[in-house]
Amino acid sequence: MTAKLTIEGVEVRFGGVAALDGAGFGVEAGQIVGMIGPNGAGKTTLMDCISGFRRPSAGSIRLETDNGAVELCGRPPWERARLGVGRTFQNARLFRSLPIRTSLLACQHDRMRRSGFVRSVLGIGGARADEAEVAARADEVLELVGLTTHADKPAGELSTGMLRLAELASVVAIRPTLLLLDEPSSGIAQKETEALGPLLRRLAAYLGATVLIIEHDMPLIMSISDSLVAMAAGRVITTGRPEDVRNHPEVLRSYLGQSA
Amino acid sequence: MNGLTGFFPLGLVTNGLMGAFPPGLVTGAVYALLAMGLVLIYKATRVPNFAYGAMATFVGFFHYSLVTGKRYAINVHLLYVRLHLHAQPRLPFWGAMPVSLIVAGLLGLVIERLVIRPFAKAPAVTLIIVTLALATVLSAITQQLFGANDLIVASRNAIFPRTVALSVVGVKVSYEQAGVIVLVVALAAAVFAFFRFTSTGLAIRAVATDRDVASLLGVSSRQLSIVSWLGGSMVAGLAGIALASLLVTSNPNLLLTLTIKGFAAAIIGGMTSFPIAVAAGFAIGVVEELTRHLFPRFAGAPEVVTLGAVIIVLSLRPSWIFRGIRDDQDSGVTAGGGAPTSALAKRIDPAEAFRVLRAAVPLDGPVMCALGRWRWVIPAALVALAVGFPLLPLPSFWALAANLTVIDLLVVLSFVVLIGWLGQISVAQGAFIAVGGAGTVVCAHVVHLPFPLPVFGAVLFSIPVSVLVGLPALRLRGLHLVIATLAFGLAAQTALLPRFSASTRVVIPSLLNSDGAKYEFSLLFAALAFALAWRVSTTRIGRSFRALRDSEIVASAYGIRPVRTKLTGFVLSGGIAALAGALLTYQLGSVSTVYGSVFFSITWLSQSVVAGITSIAGPVIGALLFGLYPQLTQGSVSASHLSFLPEAVAGALTIVIMAINPEGLASMSRFVRSRVSAFSTEDDELLAIEAATEAATAPLPEDERELVNT
Repeated sequence: MTAKLTIEGVEVRFGGVAALDGAGFGVEAGQIVGMIGPNGAGKTTLMDCISGFRRPSAGSIRLETDNGAVELCGRPPWERARLGVGRTFQNARLFRSLPIRTSLLACQHDRMRRSGFVRSVLGIGGARADEAEVAARADEVLELVGLTTHADKPAGELSTGMLRLAELASVVAIRPTLLLLDEPSSGIAQKETEALGPLLRRLAAYLGATVLIIEHDMPLIMSISDSLVAMAAGRVITTGRPEDVRNHPEVLRSYLGQSA
Repeated sequence: MNGLTGFFPLGLVTNGLMGAFPPGLVTGAVYALLAMGLVLIYKATRVPNFAYGAMATFVGFFHYSLVTGKRYAINVHLLYVRLHLHAQPRLPFWGAMPVSLIVAGLLGLVIERLVIRPFAKAPAVTLIIVTLALATVLSAITQQLFGANDLIVASRNAIFPRTVALSVVGVKVSYEQAGVIVLVVALAAAVFAFFRFTSTGLAIRAVATDRDVASLLGVSSRQLSIVSWLGGSMVAGLAGIALASLLVTSNPNLLLTLTIKGFAAAIIGGMTSFPIAVAAGFAIGVVEELTRHLFPRFAGAPEVVTLGAVIIVLSLRPSWIFRGIRDDQDSGVTAGGGAPTSALAKRIDPAEAFRVLRAAVPLDGPVMCALGRWRWVIPAALVALAVGFPLLPLPSFWALAANLTVIDLLVVLSFVVLIGWLGQISVAQGAFIAVGGAGTVVCAHVVHLPFPLPVFGAVLFSIPVSVLVGLPALRLRGLHLVIATLAFGLAAQTALLPRFSASTRVVIPSLLNSDGAKYEFSLLFAALAFALAWRVSTTRIGRSFRALRDSEIVASAYGIRPVRTKLTGFVLSGGIAALAGALLTYQLGSVSTVYGSVFFSITWLSQSVVAGITSIAGPVIGALLFGLYPQLTQGSVSASHLSFLPEAVAGALTIVIMAINPEGLASMSRFVRSRVSAFSTEDDELLAIEAATEAATAPLPEDERELVNT
């Protein structure tokens, strides 16, 4: 299943400040698209708009999958998750008291369609099969990110690096068609960052998902993105091939604050 | 009232309404006084002080014991030494006042140092539980020291004369009533001036606006905490003295009730604004009196109105209400993961204690192995003991005690589901006991359902009520939710309980003719409830509860629906509590007023926390420790020698447990293990990174390569 994302004229205001000022771009199905831009450019705000944690005052965000096209704006986050939007958080968030394996089961809540309250409690009508399925899935993704040996540790006891991996595992477990990654390398060591690029590619391939990724680590984002979106002051400056975007005069200017 | 004007509806209404104002203002003054002290402490320390009413009661009892000249006597028998100390201090009212206020201040300082400071960085929910526990400790101490009877303030000891001072719109107002109103307004003005014009007041306002910035600018939050607890506690003392006089009577339960109203007023002022809080206090008082005048026959109407007002104001969320409130992102209910935050817990190192214990007790080897293999024996023996209990040759009151213990078990379980799993802190469980009792009565005697069905009927009956209580929870959390549920509990206590308690009796079916049979009946239902809860906790539903407890945002990012999940939890928890209420009604033959009270809910909350709020084993520990044990020890003691020690101990233990391990006794062993393993995680981490690197660089297996190509 593939998903195409179309963002048009999204506006978000905090008081008098425009965090997003008519931002818009498209992401082709199956692509990995990187978002770059200085702090305050509106990257995370835009990601919040896509995943439903922030309500834009104007604009449209459309997701086209094999099941047809849907407008995401106006839907609560949980519904977007069900439509196939998965995201990670800038500060790596998971359920801090739940062991990683339990977290992975909890994340797949929505995939257990045969497990209503009564069926779950009595263990009938496919509820057991559901449990077995999500458990198998959890083990699979744990292995994929290399966390099998830490599966029983609560998230609150993990380092940022391991928490990132656990969060990635969780979001992969829900099989999103659109994967949003907010600075997956922030707060982790250089050595781990180097391992991250290939891991992200591998996960994207495993899911066959469209990926939108915010990242400050230029080598990382250059190595994994099919194309880049550069943002500044709530607008999209340019989009295109990574090399072209990186050398775009306006991108250089917004980063270095000088007239290039 | 004049009979002729009363004949015309309009005359009745206007007369009634105007007549409601003077007493309304008096009641309002009470609420305003309480709200003031709450705001004072919250503003500087962000501690929602639910022990406020208990502090006020303590000082009130102390003051009047000084005024009436209560005799204190201590007898010490130690080998050959026989000491008999006694004192009978007595002071006139205003002479005792400074002494009482000093005692109030000292009380505040002691509480600040012993109870509040260890929790300086704790989540809001922890502070709520801790101060609620403190309230039970203080009430128990008060009753132990000054007697379990209500305080009655005679006219000669009143704060101001009770003679009529003036008459307003045909309503007589005494010097006492007018005096208290003036006192409250003057005090409010003084406190307001303190915040406006003194540097300490300015510092507190700075801290209230932004704690971190204030501390960077050199404001010592510790000093402010001391100052505000000193001041707040003196206001509490004054309130305790004035209220006892104004209401003629005082007891811990009454003051707790009034404190909830005080909280309602304080929360409308955003817990930070004195003028709004005081005005809201007066407004609530007046509205309550108006309601009382309009619906004289409807017991509890004022409480229902207050509840409605609070919920409406909180749900409308005017901006000022949330300005000064700390709104934790997550529920704050701790359940494993991460080190404890309190200073006390850092000082006690359970890992070290565990090592010392291991070294001292050589349990390794065959003993531990045997224990591991025969693990099932203990639960099995417990179950056998529980089922066969009535067959044991024991005094007859044991069966009653055991039945009440089973009911305790269910109440604690309902707390575990709601607070421990779902992270929604509600203090309205007592209300569900009332609902369950009322449902049983209705099903048995109005609908005429045959015998075991009213129990199920009561549970069904609770569902709409659960949804009603759960609705505010969809928008509120932490402090706001606690206050909304307290208001609900209060409304149920005053509006629902009196209707169903004394007059209506449930006919006990012949099947339940003995206490033993009642016990087995309760045990059967408890077992069902436990099986249900256990299944819920181990499957999808329980996981979604806990995910939501840990983070609502993350949970919804993974497709968990907060609204539906919360309501499910509320219905489940309310159903279990209603079941307890139904069983209790069959035990007692009528709806219990005691069990349904807010006061009891709070005690239960403390006990649940001590026993283990996140674990399904918690209820068992809680019921045995706080249900069975005190009932058995008190079964043989006459009522006049009632000891309040169990309550005090449970409350004090709650505070200690919250400081060491907020998960309670049930998870102590897991807690210790996690602290031990915390020392060895660093090596593991390096391994994980290597594993991740390896996984990432390994060539794709065949099937996945196909995936990439398609």
